[in-house]
Amino acid sequence: MKDALRKMAALLLALSLLPGATGCGGSGGKAAPEQVRTEERADPDAEIVLAGYRSLAPGEKDGYYCSKILYVWEPLVTQDDTAAPAPCLAESWEMSDDGTQWTFYLRQGVKFHDGSDFNADAVIANFDRMMLGVRSSSFYPLDMDAYYPNLEAYEKTDDYTVRLTFSKPAPTQLYNMVNFGSAVYSPGCFDENGDFSGVCVGTGPFRIEENVLDEYVLLERFDRYWGEPAKAKRIRIRVIPDADTRFAALKAGEIMGVIDLNAIPASLAAELEGNDNFAVAAAKSTMIRFLCLNGTQFPFNDVRMRQAVSLALDRSAVTEGIYNGYGTPTTNILNYVTPFYKEFPVEENMDRAKELAAQVLGDERVSVTYLYNGSEAAQKGEAELIAFRLGEIGIDCRLMPMEMTNMKERMKAGEYGIARMQQGLSNSEPASVFRRFMLTDGDHNQNYSLGYGNDEVEALMAEAENAADMDVRAECYYRIQEISTQEFPVVPLFNDMTLIAYSTKLSGYEARPYGIELPLVAWADGL
Amino acid sequence: MRPYLIRKLISLLPVLLGISLLAFVLGAMTPGNPAELALSRGGYEPTARQIAEMEEKMGLNEPRPMQYLQWAGRVLKGDLGTSYYSGNPVSRELMRRFPVTLKLAACSMALTVFLGIGLGTAAAARQGKLTDRIIGTVINIQLSLPAFWLALLMILLFAETLRWLPTSGNGGLRYMLMPSLVLSASGSAVTARLTRSALLEELGKQYCTAAMARGIGRWRLVVRNALPNAAVPVTAMLGNSLGGMLGGSIVVESVFALPGIGSYALTAVANRDYPALQGYVLLTGAVYVLSGLLADIIGMALNPRIRPEGKKV
Repeated sequence: MKDALRKMAALLLALSLLPGATGCGGSGGKAAPEQVRTEERADPDAEIVLAGYRSLAPGEKDGYYCSKILYVWEPLVTQDDTAAPAPCLAESWEMSDDGTQWTFYLRQGVKFHDGSDFNADAVIANFDRMMLGVRSSSFYPLDMDAYYPNLEAYEKTDDYTVRLTFSKPAPTQLYNMVNFGSAVYSPGCFDENGDFSGVCVGTGPFRIEENVLDEYVLLERFDRYWGEPAKAKRIRIRVIPDADTRFAALKAGEIMGVIDLNAIPASLAAELEGNDNFAVAAAKSTMIRFLCLNGTQFPFNDVRMRQAVSLALDRSAVTEGIYNGYGTPTTNILNYVTPFYKEFPVEENMDRAKELAAQVLGDERVSVTYLYNGSEAAQKGEAELIAFRLGEIGIDCRLMPMEMTNMKERMKAGEYGIARMQQGLSNSEPASVFRRFMLTDGDHNQNYSLGYGNDEVEALMAEAENAADMDVRAECYYRIQEISTQEFPVVPLFNDMTLIAYSTKLSGYEARPYGIELPLVAWADGL
Repeated sequence: MRPYLIRKLISLLPVLLGISLLAFVLGAMTPGNPAELALSRGGYEPTARQIAEMEEKMGLNEPRPMQYLQWAGRVLKGDLGTSYYSGNPVSRELMRRFPVTLKLAACSMALTVFLGIGLGTAAAARQGKLTDRIIGTVINIQLSLPAFWLALLMILLFAETLRWLPTSGNGGLRYMLMPSLVLSASGSAVTARLTRSALLEELGKQYCTAAMARGIGRWRLVVRNALPNAAVPVTAMLGNSLGGMLGGSIVVESVFALPGIGSYALTAVANRDYPALQGYVLLTGAVYVLSGLLADIIGMALNPRIRPEGKKV
C-alpha cells in the first residue's frame, strides 16, 4: 500500500515536471568514471559499494582517523559475541594478585600496512600519543583518563610484552580497553603532536586505498594480514546522509548495503520485508532509550511518582507499534550488551500505578512539559502513546519537540517535567553509567536535573572501585542495577537494536552491535 | 564606471562585517556548548572534565566579545580559524567544498535562465491561450512544492523506479541534473512570472503596437524586440536569486549527498561550530554581494539609461 502510494506520488510528479524534465535533458553528460554499477560485476573481486550516514573515515584530525568497523586498525583487546574481552593484537594477558598491574603479551609476526613490525615499541608510541591529551572524534573521544583510569605507568618489558601499572586495583581494566580503548597505529603515521600525517596505518584486514572526505572511503584487502584475510577485495563506503536517499540507492542497486548506526529507520526496514532481493538484519545495540524525570521538583522528586510512571507505561506497545518490534522493553538502566547486565522482569501494572500516583497527587492532576527530540520522527508517536498512558495516572503532558542541544539546556536549568533521552555504552565496563546517572555528583544526574541520591549506591560504587576481585565488583553492579529498577533515577523504555539492510547478492552481511563484520562480506556464491 | 565599481566594492566591507557580527551574535545567543557537541558525536556523552579540557583547547573560556575580536583579527590576516567540529582549517574546508556548490549553483542558474525565460516568453507569446494556462499551472506547482519533498519524489521516480539517473553523489552532469532541477524549481518559476509580466508590459508599449501594425509576427516581436527590454528587471532578479540558491543548497546538498558548503553549514549549525559558520557566512555574503554587482553591470550593458552619468560601460 505504502509502495503504491509512493509510486503514485512519483507519477504525479513526473507529469507536473514534464516540461522541466524535457527542457534540460540535453544537459545530461556521461556517467562519472568513479561510479560503479555494482550490478554489472562479473568477478568475485569486483568492488562492493556500501553507504552510511556519515563519513566513517573523518580523516587526520579525528582521534581515530576512521571507525573500528572499517577494520583498518585493530585494538589490543577486542570483544566476543557476549561483549566479553577477547584477544586481538594482545594474544594474552595477566593481572597481578592485587589488581594493580596488567601485563599484555603481544602477538608476533604482525605487520602494519606500511610494512613495519607491530611490537612493544609501537604500543608504547601509541600510549605516548594518548598522553598528549583528549582528542575529539566522530566516534568516542580518545581519552587516556577514560580508558585507563588511575594509570601510573606503562612500560615495555621486552619486545612483545607491555606492562601497565595502576594506583588502584583495576580488575575490569580489560573492559575499558576493548576496541576504541586500545587502538594501535603504526608510529610512522602520526606526527609529534599526535595528528595523523596522512592516511592512518593499522594492522587490520583492510587498508585505506583512497579517502575522499564526505564522499567515500575506498578499502582494499591487506594481503599480508596476520589472520583470516578479508573476503572482498575492494569495498567502497559512500556517505549518503539522508536515510530516504540511502534507501533509494539501495533499491536502485547503486549500493549493496547500508552500514553504521542509523543505517536504516525501522519504518523503511519494514518496507523491505517480503522483498527477496533484500534482507534486513538486527542485532542488539549499545543504545538504551529512557525518560528523564525532573527529580528536583514536584511530583517526580517523590520516588513513588517515578515508580508510578514506570508501572503505567506500555513499553511493548511502543516497541511494536512505533519501532516495528526492533527494541526490547527494559526497566534496567544498564544496556544489555555487557556481561554485567542482569535481566529484571518488566513490571507494568496500571492499577498499582494509579494507587501510587494517588498517594502523591491526592485528587489533583499535575501538568508537566514532555520534551522530545524533534528531529527523530518516531519520537512524536512514542510521546503521544506515553502521554496517553500517563494521563490515566493524573499526569497531563504538554508535548514539546525540541532540538537536542536546546533540550539539554532546558534540562540543565530544570525547566521540564519529562524528557526523552538516550545513552550509548562506550564499553562493557558499566561503572561510568552508574556513576553518571546515580551518584549525587554524577554529571548526568546534575545536568539532567534528575535529583537522584542513594547512600547505598555511593557505598557500592566505592566498594566496586577498590575491589581487586572481579566477582565482588560484579556483585556490586548487580545490586546497583536492582536499585535502579526500584528507584528509577531515569525510567528506561527499551534497549535499542542495530538495524541493517543489504542486497541478497551479498553474503556474510551480519548485524553486530556496532555495524557489521566487514571482512566477512563478499559476493554471494552463484551470482 | 570605475568609481562606481570601487564604491560598490568598498561597501562590501561593512556588509561582511555586519553579517559576520550578526552570525556571531545569533550563534552566541543560541544555547549549546560547542565543546560538548564536539565530544558527543556518535552518541557518546562526554564527562564534565573532558568538556572543560576541550573548552580550554577551543578558547571558549574567553569572553564572547573577545572571541569575536580575535576571530575578526585573524580574518584580516587571511585566517578563517579552525573548525571546532572537524579540527580542520575552515578556509581549507570551504575551498574543498565550494567548487561542488559552485557547480550546483551554475547548473541551477543555467536551468533557471533557460526554463524561466523560456517558459515566461512562451506564456507571453501565447497570452490567454492553452499554453499560457499550462505554463501558469506548472509555475504554481514549482512554487508550492517544498524542495526536500520534490527531491525525494524525483529520486523515487528517476533513480529508484526508472533508473535513469543516480540517486545521489558528486560527479558529472548526470549527478547534477536532479539537484539543480530541485534547486532551480522556485527560481525558474519566479523568473518565468517576471519575464511574462515584463514582456506583456513591453508589448503594450507604442513601439510594439507600431511594429504589429506593420505586420511583424507575434513571436518575432516578442523575442527580437520586447525581450531585450524586458530582460533588465529579469537580470536584476536573477542576480539576487543566486543568494536564494546558496541558501537552498543546504537542503539539496544534504538530500543528494553533495559535499558542498551548504551541507557544511548544516553540520556547523547543528554543532555550534562558530568558526565554520562564520566562514560560511562570509563566503556566501561575498558571493551574494558580488553577484548583485555582476547583475548591475549586465543590467547597465543592456540598458544605457541606468548607467552612471549615462556613459558607456
